[in-house]
Amino acid sequence: MFNNILHFRTGFKPAKIIITCLILLTILSLSSIYSSLHQGGAFTDQGIFYKEIMWIIISWIILMLFSLINYRIYFDFAYILYGINICLLIAVDLFGRSALGAQRWLNIGGFNFQPSELSKIITIFFLARVFSSEVNKGFLKGVIAPFSVLMLNVLLIVKQPDLGTALVLVFLFFLMGFASSNKKRYFVALIIAALIFSPFAWNHLKDYQKKRLIVFINPNAEPLGAGYTIIQSKIAIGSGQFFGKGFLSGTQNQFNFLPERHTDFIFTVIAEEWGFLGAIILLMIYIFIINNILLVARYKKDNFAQLLLIGMACLFFIHIFINIGMTLGILPVVGIPLLFISYGGTHLLVSFMLLGIFLNIYRQ
Amino acid sequence: MSSNKDNFIIFLKRIYITAFLILCISLLYYQIVKGNYYLARAKNNYVRVIPERSIRGKIFDRNGIALAYDRPSFNIAVIPYQIKNNKEALLGELAKFCSLKIKSLDRNYSRKFQNFFTPVDVIADIEKKEAFRIEEKFANEVLIDPQPQRYYAFPYETAHLLGYVKDAGSFSERLKKYGYSPNERIGISGIEQYYDDYLRGVDGGDLIEVNSSGKIVGFLGKLNSARGKDIYLTIDSKMQQAAYESISGKKGALIVMDSKNGEIFTLVSYPSFDSNSFVKGRDEISNFLNDKNNPMQNRAIQSTFPLGSTFKPIAAIAGLEENKLKPSTTFICRGKLNIGKAEFECENVHNEENMYDALTHSCNVYFYNVGITLGRQIMANYAEKLGLNSISGIDLPYEKKGTIPVSSIKLKNRWYLGDTLNLSIGQGYTECSPIEIMRATNVFANEGYLVKPHLIKKIDNMEITEPKSTKVDVSLQNISIVKKALRGVVESDEGTARMLEPLNLSIAGKTGTAQTNGRPHGWFVGFFPADAPKYTICVFLENGGSSYEALKVAYSFLEKLKEQKLL
Repeated sequence: MFNNILHFRTGFKPAKIIITCLILLTILSLSSIYSSLHQGGAFTDQGIFYKEIMWIIISWIILMLFSLINYRIYFDFAYILYGINICLLIAVDLFGRSALGAQRWLNIGGFNFQPSELSKIITIFFLARVFSSEVNKGFLKGVIAPFSVLMLNVLLIVKQPDLGTALVLVFLFFLMGFASSNKKRYFVALIIAALIFSPFAWNHLKDYQKKRLIVFINPNAEPLGAGYTIIQSKIAIGSGQFFGKGFLSGTQNQFNFLPERHTDFIFTVIAEEWGFLGAIILLMIYIFIINNILLVARYKKDNFAQLLLIGMACLFFIHIFINIGMTLGILPVVGIPLLFISYGGTHLLVSFMLLGIFLNIYRQ
Repeated sequence: MSSNKDNFIIFLKRIYITAFLILCISLLYYQIVKGNYYLARAKNNYVRVIPERSIRGKIFDRNGIALAYDRPSFNIAVIPYQIKNNKEALLGELAKFCSLKIKSLDRNYSRKFQNFFTPVDVIADIEKKEAFRIEEKFANEVLIDPQPQRYYAFPYETAHLLGYVKDAGSFSERLKKYGYSPNERIGISGIEQYYDDYLRGVDGGDLIEVNSSGKIVGFLGKLNSARGKDIYLTIDSKMQQAAYESISGKKGALIVMDSKNGEIFTLVSYPSFDSNSFVKGRDEISNFLNDKNNPMQNRAIQSTFPLGSTFKPIAAIAGLEENKLKPSTTFICRGKLNIGKAEFECENVHNEENMYDALTHSCNVYFYNVGITLGRQIMANYAEKLGLNSISGIDLPYEKKGTIPVSSIKLKNRWYLGDTLNLSIGQGYTECSPIEIMRATNVFANEGYLVKPHLIKKIDNMEITEPKSTKVDVSLQNISIVKKALRGVVESDEGTARMLEPLNLSIAGKTGTAQTNGRPHGWFVGFFPADAPKYTICVFLENGGSSYEALKVAYSFLEKLKEQKLL
């Protein structure tokens, strides 16, 4: 049934649609970050806003740049890139800058850079290469080996700690594996094994991470502690009602009741100020993007390209669903940004990079 | 291979469309279905009322002396949101700094807590200097919260009469339906409670916008507070003080009332309590609450006791009215009366006595005979006619009515003739509060009219019309006979209250010594001047020993009034 809705009539140009969507998202991103940096009518944090503008400009340049690079190059360099990625993560562990209780950033030329974000894109290259060539070579070589290599990456990220990104990587592994493998039971077996190990993993979570999961189940358990954000987010979203409170007029946002509002909880700002209408339009834009990626993936003959696109679509979907789900209190707060909207340079760069790759694949 | 991915893509589409539908449904639920609820919660977040307490009406005595009024007090408050992380530590430091108990700060905090953004007074009513000293030390964590506070000029003397006030906070749930906000003060017992609607005024406040740290970021409007109405009582504060002094050290009540119209000049119950410390919520209030002498009880109106011989005038009027008795009717007192095997005693051997003699000497045997002649029902009926067995209707809360064994009440055992005898001298099942017997006795002073005791004289500038007295269905002639006899009680050399005669006030009245399990209660009820009574007085001493003790209190009290020229 969904197929009918999702199949675009001929004549639609995926590249144009994506570019249009990106322009809309950029406008929405800038305006909502602008609003979230206001407090009681005063523009309190101009520096962050100008930084964000710079990131957006760089991102658009990156998009164009990557649309020109032949995507096959990622196949060739996948393993090397993966090695570099691991090195960067180790560098973060050794020399990284800490903020908000996590050590995630590397300072490169004045810009704070988050290798774990880059990890996502490189993992997609890596998995696309492995699964396009090795996946049907048996359980050990096709599934266990790449999983083990991936776990190295995942564990380094968990150590930062960045539970959200680590989870995204694991999801990517299973989704891309499912997409390419004939022997899905291998992956099912692995999932079961992972579930058996999860209580063990629980013990290795940081206290704040455990708290977040507990609070997810009952936000009112700690109305001033970890549950505060979820409660305030729900109040903000609900109070937006159908048309929203208007630009710069969200009281939850403007009176500082909403923490982390220009980063992880930016969706809440949009839902409060633009209401149900604005939120639905944003969701529609996301659906257009993911849908177009999958549309192209379907008609591509190249195995590697298909997997790249599927990985991309999965990454976008997971990000968007988890982020919005957590602002609505239906998923735990794991601290991942809202793609294309949240403040934060690296994830923006990575998303645009991926779409640049998409444009290149589409043109080939 | 390719169909493999095709299927996966279709599968993936299903998944993400389902996921997005879940998001849409959630948005629909929060924003449309529960939108109004969350909008209200958002407003609750940022709109605050900074309450401004209204000034409560003052309470004056009949001469315009202030008995209760508001004065500024300095409180130390904290904002819960600001101290959420170090509440225990901060309260501990505050307690140490002011050498208070952390427990009491904790208690104040939990009692007065409203929400995370409204200041909570943790230390109440301190010196202005001290308040500034604390603010200086804990600059960012506390603030000075000046509030009007109730002050009683005569805290012990008027404690039962006026009651006290308290923050409605702790019982706000119960009071919400009456329109009290938790910040408001509410009158507890006494005049403060009875006339709370007039005294309380309307609290105002500033309607402000705050941000998440409780900082004011906008001003929405002001609600003006309105002060409460002043109340003028019939009380004479000097007389009240004299009464309190006279009864100090005893246990009981002293009431003085205008014989003509029921205005209460004085109403004192002892032991008493410090109403000011109840306002402040200080720790010593538990001493009052746990005292086994029960100082919180207003013995004048809230307790009932056997009334002893003060019942005899009522038996006399019943006999006269029913024509079963003439003033000249005599009975012979041999010091006791035997009914079957039981023996009923008298204080003395009075020999032949008429009604005047019998009241003067308070002869039990005479009234046993009256009781036998009249029977239980007639006596009980007249007691009811004179206002016993019902509350006096004074404008104070929690008045308790006494008991008269009329036929309608249920008795534990059968009614025996002995019970009738006990009734005729005010023992046995008969009980009443001091104000009830005072009101009944006043009928003899007031030409057969039953007054309604009251305390209110004026509310702001509005004079309160006196409650109407009701005519009791007894003949004026018989009233005068009893009245004359009551004068004899004081005037005669043999009268039981003759010790009051040297005061030269022309007092008439009746003494009573009521038997109880412990020491007997002492009573004196009377009025003066006998010819045209103006004052009616009742002295009651719980377990005081005898009426003699009550007379001593009455004497010293009246002497004081004479000295101070208050009569």
